[in-house]
Amino acid sequence: MTTIAAPISIDAFGLTDKGKVRPTNEDHFVVADINRTVDIRWGSLSPDALINRIGTNTAHLLAVADGVGGGPDGDVASERTAAAVLSYVGSAAVCFNELDTDREHELLGALENTVLEVHRELLSEVSSPNVKAPATTLTMVLLIWPRAYLIHVGDSRAYVRRRGRVQAMTRDQTFGEYMVSAGAWSEDQAMKFRTAETLASAVGGSEMTPSVGLIDLEPGDSLMLCTDGLTKHVTNERIEEVLAMAVDARTMTETLLADALNGGGTDNVSIIVARGVGS
Amino acid sequence: MLQKKICMVGMFATGKTCLVQRYVHSIFSPRYLSTVGVKIDRKEVNVRGEPVTLLLWDLEGRDGNHDVNPSYVRGAHGLIFVVDGTRRDTFDQAFDIRESITSQVGEIPCAFAFNKADLTDEWQLTQADEDAVSARGLHVLRTSAKSGTGVEETFQWLADATLQKTGA
Repeated sequence: MTTIAAPISIDAFGLTDKGKVRPTNEDHFVVADINRTVDIRWGSLSPDALINRIGTNTAHLLAVADGVGGGPDGDVASERTAAAVLSYVGSAAVCFNELDTDREHELLGALENTVLEVHRELLSEVSSPNVKAPATTLTMVLLIWPRAYLIHVGDSRAYVRRRGRVQAMTRDQTFGEYMVSAGAWSEDQAMKFRTAETLASAVGGSEMTPSVGLIDLEPGDSLMLCTDGLTKHVTNERIEEVLAMAVDARTMTETLLADALNGGGTDNVSIIVARGVGS
Repeated sequence: MLQKKICMVGMFATGKTCLVQRYVHSIFSPRYLSTVGVKIDRKEVNVRGEPVTLLLWDLEGRDGNHDVNPSYVRGAHGLIFVVDGTRRDTFDQAFDIRESITSQVGEIPCAFAFNKADLTDEWQLTQADEDAVSARGLHVLRTSAKSGTGVEETFQWLADATLQKTGA
């Protein structure tokens, strides 16, 4: 029996922690491999020839969701949102092979719709228009090597490290970020106002505007997804330093969590690190 | 509904993201944040009575060392080459970039956006540059993401041209 191996393996790890201050953890995260296996029972075909016809057989879902504190059931919102995305991706696994442009847009549209459905469900379950629905952020990547599809709502983040440089793939969807973008506030002003942290877009929130993107990864690149419990306490420079370490994804993730807790741990924190490792 | 993939390409910091933001969300941000990978926005337009969804792929800017990723432009129906009118070097490389892309996707409708037209004091391009684009049979317009000048017209022209190209 010949099994066709993926040319790149994905080293991924994630964890969550309630931090040192909050009584409960309203974050949720998921790291999942979705496999479509082709086992050739007998044949004379070379695996090298087949790999180009069959394409990749594995997709990887990475997602962090930060339930909005101060509102009702933030943990329920974050869990339901992450679970809904996983459920969609799991059921759609057959579509991952050799996505052409149209199917790629279909996939992104379906992912957005999945998030939109959860958003509508959360809103529909509140008893009156004056009651806030459970709400959450969502930052998710569907990685079908080498392409990483990104859907982002709220102020959790995704970063990519390439050629020694870490760059944010997401922009926080907060009131402060919008004010700074519009040139109405300076970054210093945004740091001073508590309203700056208010989410301008959230699943279950009064507004929900997913941002969609993608990037083609290269061997050696790293992806890092996190909730704001990390970025409140750990600088971009430190994130860059940790992602540059010659260690596995688990060690990177645990190191970043330790940094967040040592820095105060004032919020729930969830972190996922994933990197493509050469065959 | 018909869907058309439009790619925004050009050197870094020419205003590709700002043009999309102006066109889709009617907003302008003076702050520069470089795009990583591709940001995708969607806008529904009407072209000669037909509803069309434009899928706007805002590609990270070319930095001189790295070519446009061919897999990002695969399947594109139209291209917008964004040039910063206050930086001559962003125009000097535009035809090279276009050539490398058309070698991947073939001849597809494309428009040149001479962007930042509001910065008239710093403008470095000439009528001869616009003529050079037109002479190649390409569409050229001065645009300003800040004021909105030429933005709607550029996207609408391209949407129309992509439908003409496919005969839809």
